[in-house]
Amino acid sequence: MQQQGSKSGSEMEVTWEDQQNINIFSRLNNRVHDLDDDIKSAKEKCENLEDAGNELILADEEMVRFQIGEVFAHVPRDDVETKIEEMKEATCKSLEKLEQEKESIVTQMAALKKVLYAKFKDSINLEED
Amino acid sequence: MSSSSPSGSGSDLTERRGIPAAKFIQDVETYLSQSGLDPNSALAFHQERLQQYKVVEMKLLAQQRDLQAKIPDIEKCLEVVATLEAKKGTGEALLADFEVSEGIYSRACIEDTDSVCLWLGANVMLEYSCEEASALLKNNLENAKASLEVLVADLQFLRDQVTVTQVTIARVYNWDVHQRRVKQVTPTAIAAADS
Repeated sequence: MQQQGSKSGSEMEVTWEDQQNINIFSRLNNRVHDLDDDIKSAKEKCENLEDAGNELILADEEMVRFQIGEVFAHVPRDDVETKIEEMKEATCKSLEKLEQEKESIVTQMAALKKVLYAKFKDSINLEED
Repeated sequence: MSSSSPSGSGSDLTERRGIPAAKFIQDVETYLSQSGLDPNSALAFHQERLQQYKVVEMKLLAQQRDLQAKIPDIEKCLEVVATLEAKKGTGEALLADFEVSEGIYSRACIEDTDSVCLWLGANVMLEYSCEEASALLKNNLENAKASLEVLVADLQFLRDQVTVTQVTIARVYNWDVHQRRVKQVTPTAIAAADS
């Protein structure tokens, strides 16, 4: 987000309220970028767990090597299946939460944009560069 | 040069953990006359402030990255300890494949055990009972998460100050441009009126 000078040179009063709106907009913008990264990695994790679940169904070994921390522990297949289901559910839930948060923030940003553009018109630039 | 502009409006804090707050200016003209600065000096001062903020931001971002890497590590350790604890009652040994070197794995047979060793850093490893290890790791995790929260709040405060400073720079610059334009127009108007 940049604030560009007004080309017409007209004196635009900036109140403390305006400044706070700009600050909030900046915070929300940063939060959206962070959320995008989080959503991306959560989606990846979900996909990986899906793939793992599918592989598990195809494989017919009794003992599966399941990664815990840095090592692969030999765990019976049923336990692994349960574990993967649990992890998948947890990841999908957190993904949902992240996407909801992003949606609400995008709405807030749109509202702020309206307010700020109404006051400053051309003197402010709130778009992604 | 410390900025103590009385025409600035009250922000909530004057500084946070060593980061000075950027004072918000209600009126550019009042600010310039009260601080006795000409527009260029004011601009230079605020630009320098902006640079200082950027330096602090880099430092905080690096700290944040470190913490964000540390937290999953601690969580992994907790998982392993929990697995060992779960196996304790059964009397079975836990078979685990671990990496000896890149691409080379070996099998370990972990007997039923009450204690684990935790790497504390600085070439020190201590033996703990499973419960103590769990408690210690949970404590470390809590501390790391709390530090991360404080850090994130610091970064938000810092970004607000950066935004305020950027807006101030833009306003001082615009005011200066406006003043020059007015000065150019006025003599011409007087000359036109005289002739």
